[in-house]
Amino acid sequence: MTMPPPQGAYTCPYCRMASDGGGGTCPHCGAPVDVRLKVSDSGWIEQPPIRDMAHIRFGRSTCQVSGMYVPVAEMALHDDDSVYFSHHVLLHTDPNIRFGNLPLKGGWKRMRAGMPLIMMTAQGPGHIAFSADEPGETLAVPLAPGRAVDVVEHRFLVATANVNYNWQQSNLWFTTQDGDDEEWHYPLGKTLDQFAATGGNGLLLLHAPGNTFIRDLAPGQRILVQPGGLIWKDTSVRMFLHFEYPHGRYWFSSARYQAKSTWLTLQGPGRIAVGSVFERPEGSGSVRRTSGATTQQW
Amino acid sequence: MDRIECQWCKAQNETGRTNCTTCGAPLDKKDLVTDSGWAEAPRLRDMTEFRFSSSTCQIEGEIVPVAEIALAQGDSVFFEHHVMLWKEPQVPMSALNTGGGMKRTLGGMPHILSVAHGPGRVAFSRDATGEVVVLPLHPSMEIDLREHAFLAGTHSLTYSFVRIKGLANVLHGGGGMYMDRFVTQNEPGLLLLHGYGNVFQKTLQHGEKILVEPGGFLYKDSSVTMNVYKQNVKTGLMGGHSMYLAEMAGPGRVGIQSMYVHHGSE
Repeated sequence: MTMPPPQGAYTCPYCRMASDGGGGTCPHCGAPVDVRLKVSDSGWIEQPPIRDMAHIRFGRSTCQVSGMYVPVAEMALHDDDSVYFSHHVLLHTDPNIRFGNLPLKGGWKRMRAGMPLIMMTAQGPGHIAFSADEPGETLAVPLAPGRAVDVVEHRFLVATANVNYNWQQSNLWFTTQDGDDEEWHYPLGKTLDQFAATGGNGLLLLHAPGNTFIRDLAPGQRILVQPGGLIWKDTSVRMFLHFEYPHGRYWFSSARYQAKSTWLTLQGPGRIAVGSVFERPEGSGSVRRTSGATTQQW
Repeated sequence: MDRIECQWCKAQNETGRTNCTTCGAPLDKKDLVTDSGWAEAPRLRDMTEFRFSSSTCQIEGEIVPVAEIALAQGDSVFFEHHVMLWKEPQVPMSALNTGGGMKRTLGGMPHILSVAHGPGRVAFSRDATGEVVVLPLHPSMEIDLREHAFLAGTHSLTYSFVRIKGLANVLHGGGGMYMDRFVTQNEPGLLLLHGYGNVFQKTLQHGEKILVEPGGFLYKDSSVTMNVYKQNVKTGLMGGHSMYLAEMAGPGRVGIQSMYVHHGSE
């Protein structure tokens, strides 16, 4: 007879939470437990998609992820549990789910930043389901008490009530000159969502277009990523902009005055997650002022 | 002789078959149903073939699938012209007058539906990631479909369109002014749909209700009623907002798509 492994015998490499490793998937993040870790030569870990119909446990409730192109996160909420979400991701609900709203600070600023004004709450018992509006993967980020992550705007799907929500200015910007006008650019968006678990373990669900890759940066270790590719990061990871000016053979083929690449520098320690689909970056032009950036003239 | 019943369309198939001959659904895979009873539309295998009348349909690709139909002499399919991907030059075409002229113009629906006649091949696909859903309709069935969501219907189906009742439903429902209605008489028919993202189906019991994001609605049996459900949400800014959901009440099937355009707040 095969004995089940003891609780805590398996640590999920994707969410770093301990479980008994039974059932085929991690009960905290839904990642399969029976697949080989795929790590690129440079150290990016490919986040495996949550298997169709896999269950994730939180509180006294469960979340079941179904579908492969635009997955649906269907929650069976217990009486004692509730979640919050932006209203536009709601797909279907039992009529007996009780709705409320989460007070949000800075309504005017959120409106100007193009962020949803309403964060709804749903209280069990009953079923409620969420989905995003583009193909991609559902990412489950379980948060141990005290752990906080920064999430790029519009990636948030739903979170459990014991996860504190906050948002702040991304403070990543640069300006360019267009005639007499100064144009402002926000490569990462104007705002950044922050989620922190309080009390017990919390669950955060995100939607990432394309495929997702994660890596852990050592203290001081840096990597440059497309700003639109970042999905989430530990709050300990610092970030700032970086401009590159490639050198050409002739003066007219050089980018001496106009930055050709705008990068987001991420500096450890901490974990980062990037998606393989990102918004096409706009031309940087002649950078005039920045929120604090490094430059490289090649 | 033993037969295998297709879990999706209930057709009987010979033992040993791996795909249903009527709808193409895999017969050797377990149905995927969520805890609350939503069944995933069967993921049709690449190059799956199934039959209707004397013709065949083959599904190709998986991200934006193509439905390629080999029409036999005497068979035909109708469709909205923008979903036709390619056709053989000799396939004769005609037009099906939908009636309702100005009403359809106001509703943003095409005046005519195109009809392709056999013999020959014609193929259809839509404009975004999703799934082809095959709905065989038995005689005397009636099904309502979100406008512009159907890929093709076979000649034995009677097409009409119905106005979505209630101004609130039209303004806040997210599904437009009309739904396409397909009815079978004495002969079975086949309806091909394209749902954005993934498609799920739930069968509601008599009086059972479910609230659905209006943009996610894809199809329903005509016995299922659809009404607007207004959910008020208070915000700190300018008082509050209203969110509109579609309240579906059984009996009958409801189909939804997981990727949708959100229309439901003001």
